[in-house]
Amino acid sequence: MDLKNNLNPTLRIAEKMDRLEKKMTYLASYLSVMEERLAQKRAKKMAKRKEAFRDELFSYEIRTLSHDQYVQAFIQPEIDKLGKNYKLKERAKKASFTRKLSRSNDASKTTLTDAFHQDIQLLHQELEEKKQALIRSINVLERSSQALKDAEKAYQEEKARVQSILDFEEKALKDQDEETLKREKARLDRMLQVMKTKLEALRLEHKNLLLAGQQELPEDIILRLQGLRMQFGGLVAVSDLSFDVKKGEIFGLIGPNGAGKTTVFNCITQFYKPTKGDIYYRDKRNDVINLNHYAVHDIIHQGIVRTFQNVELIWELSILDNLLVGAHSLYQTGFFHHLLKTRRFQREESVLRQKAIKVLTDLNLIAYKDFYPIGLPYGILKQVELARTLMSNPQLIILDEPAAGLNDLETDRLIQTIRKIQKEYKVTIFLVEHDMGLVMELCDTICAISFGKMLAIGTPKEIQSNPVVQEAYLGGE
Amino acid sequence: MLEHRPLQQSTPLSTWKKLTKHPFFGVFLSLFVMILIRILGNINAIPSGVVDVFAIIWIYIIIGLGFTLLLGYTGLASLGTAGFIGVGSYVVAYILGTAGMPLIVAFIVGIMISIGLGTVVGFISLRIEGMYLAIITLGLSEILVEVFKFWTKVTKGLVGFQLDRYTILGFAVREEQVYYVLVLALVLTMFAVLNIINSPTGRAMLSIKNSTSAAQAMGISILKFRLLSFIVSTVLAVIGGMLYMMYTRSTIPNIWNIALSLNILAAVVIGGAKSIWGVSLGTIFIFGFNQLVLARIPFFARYGNASLFINGALIILVVMFYPGGIVRMFSDLSRISKKAYHWILSKVKEYRYGPEE
Repeated sequence: MDLKNNLNPTLRIAEKMDRLEKKMTYLASYLSVMEERLAQKRAKKMAKRKEAFRDELFSYEIRTLSHDQYVQAFIQPEIDKLGKNYKLKERAKKASFTRKLSRSNDASKTTLTDAFHQDIQLLHQELEEKKQALIRSINVLERSSQALKDAEKAYQEEKARVQSILDFEEKALKDQDEETLKREKARLDRMLQVMKTKLEALRLEHKNLLLAGQQELPEDIILRLQGLRMQFGGLVAVSDLSFDVKKGEIFGLIGPNGAGKTTVFNCITQFYKPTKGDIYYRDKRNDVINLNHYAVHDIIHQGIVRTFQNVELIWELSILDNLLVGAHSLYQTGFFHHLLKTRRFQREESVLRQKAIKVLTDLNLIAYKDFYPIGLPYGILKQVELARTLMSNPQLIILDEPAAGLNDLETDRLIQTIRKIQKEYKVTIFLVEHDMGLVMELCDTICAISFGKMLAIGTPKEIQSNPVVQEAYLGGE
Repeated sequence: MLEHRPLQQSTPLSTWKKLTKHPFFGVFLSLFVMILIRILGNINAIPSGVVDVFAIIWIYIIIGLGFTLLLGYTGLASLGTAGFIGVGSYVVAYILGTAGMPLIVAFIVGIMISIGLGTVVGFISLRIEGMYLAIITLGLSEILVEVFKFWTKVTKGLVGFQLDRYTILGFAVREEQVYYVLVLALVLTMFAVLNIINSPTGRAMLSIKNSTSAAQAMGISILKFRLLSFIVSTVLAVIGGMLYMMYTRSTIPNIWNIALSLNILAAVVIGGAKSIWGVSLGTIFIFGFNQLVLARIPFFARYGNASLFINGALIILVVMFYPGGIVRMFSDLSRISKKAYHWILSKVKEYRYGPEE
């Protein structure tokens, strides 16, 4: 299939344009990542500077304390510790006493009890003495209120002075960072400019080539199946299926078991090569392409991404890394960049990491960021798979039985998530589902098939009242 | 109250803990250990034979690190490693010994040959998987061994190839200097493999192992990454062979047999196939145990291959009961010991202080 791509000049140029556009998005979005990073670095530096003034300020602060406050601050914790210690000692005495008591005879019981009480009393006395000793040990005199006021004033003045120094330093650092950002922005802009001119040239070439022969497809249609037929040996799974999917709608494909729904999906995403028929698709550049010309792993580059009937997450990677696998088609750096961990690769990685965190936050999954998929509930895994599809900037998301294996509550959440995705990410959604409630509630258009042939297509109401569909589901009389 | 009270000072323990969290801490620690072993050898604290054993182990760790990308990440089993190592050793032998060309030529030729071999096996792996791939790579390795045995013009046949002392850039090379080259090569390989497994390449390889269809749907080309992992592992194996020849200056066809491939497989599986520390520990365990402990026991000294019984039994035990490998044992042990410590502490407290009030 790669060979075919190389032979077809239009596809080759389209791929080049795709790569350039992706590179440009990295350059454009790197500045915000860098700003965030610089701010973090600055905060760290300032915290360190603040730390340097701590001792000096403490010496001022300690003078503002009255005697009682001093005791409260420094002696009380020690006294508390002592109290705790003696409490434990008392408990130990009591435990050993109960043990001895259970072993002794009646005659010695009274003497034991007396000894125990005496011990406890001794302990209390010791504790009291130690406490007094601690309080006596400090030699801070009671200061006059005037002295305290002066000390407080001095402390506040010193604090203000330190704060002004810190503010000044922070401002200097900020200016420096802004300078860096400006320089970086200029550099990125220069790179972007070069790329833009290149892209313009490519676009022109692309347009000229396209005029030669492009499939006609109405503006508002994103996917068109034309006479699709899929045959496995003698078994015909799908025969002569044709329908259109409109841009921005939620399209549902329904049918009884074995109707060939998943086969249709696999044909669109090129897991199976259709025996006959064409699949036309309007890509990001508004050009119409025939998906049959692409390899399985090239489909995602055109903006089509799918989920699977059984959750197909990467079990050995954390949720965040799973999302980054979803963004694999966006990486423009190759093996040697990864091997040497170059700056360009790190730039891409940081941009995509930020994006993954944004997607996870949007879908309320951020709490599971560092978890591994093993052991998470099925509903969450389905949502993670949905989140993964969003990483590759899709136009068309294909969902294979999204509600399979979910309970009612999880299905409700899923419906809301799908709605949210459609609205916020402006994607078209194409789904197969057995859960009629979900399909009827969610879909704008429904297509019903049975034994690989189309039965009906229309709005949910039309489908529900269609006698042919009813017969296929409930059986004829 | 008292917002500027001094914080707690950092203790040596807390500094050490902070240090261990650094991502490259392990690499620097192993660098330290490797150099320490050489220094101990220099002052005769450990016999020079043991230092040689460790030097060979460092080479096998390099090879194991390549192998772990193949087995632990892309999920392909290969038993051809020994043959590829042999190729590396004979390339250095021929180009330094017979042709009399400088070492750099040997490295360039060796890497070109390894890329070719890796590509061939990689293409085979697209059609055949699992046990059958292992059998085919085993066959390839055996073919290579036969070539080593009977292409006497180049390899000097069954007696093996002995190399005289050689020079690099006009300097006569001593064994100690090659040891440091080995250490450098291992550290660089560790950095490279760490970088790869934490990059999209490593993630793509893991996705292929977990689910080929999900990987394809995410735009990961199976062809590209299988070829890539085979090429990387073959290049590392051939480099390992070249380093082996540089260090020992002798090679015999019979070393590069299936037993070595199996030992490397055992080292990777027993150590933990997904972690470079696991591979290092496993290699030290398998080869160090074989050569430093088992070789001293009369029975194993007499029947050389008997140590394979022990390795095989260990593989079965690890795969069945402890799939994480030795490296998991450390985290598990620390967790269990912490739990046990707290349990014992609570029991002692209960006895001493009686029930909670």
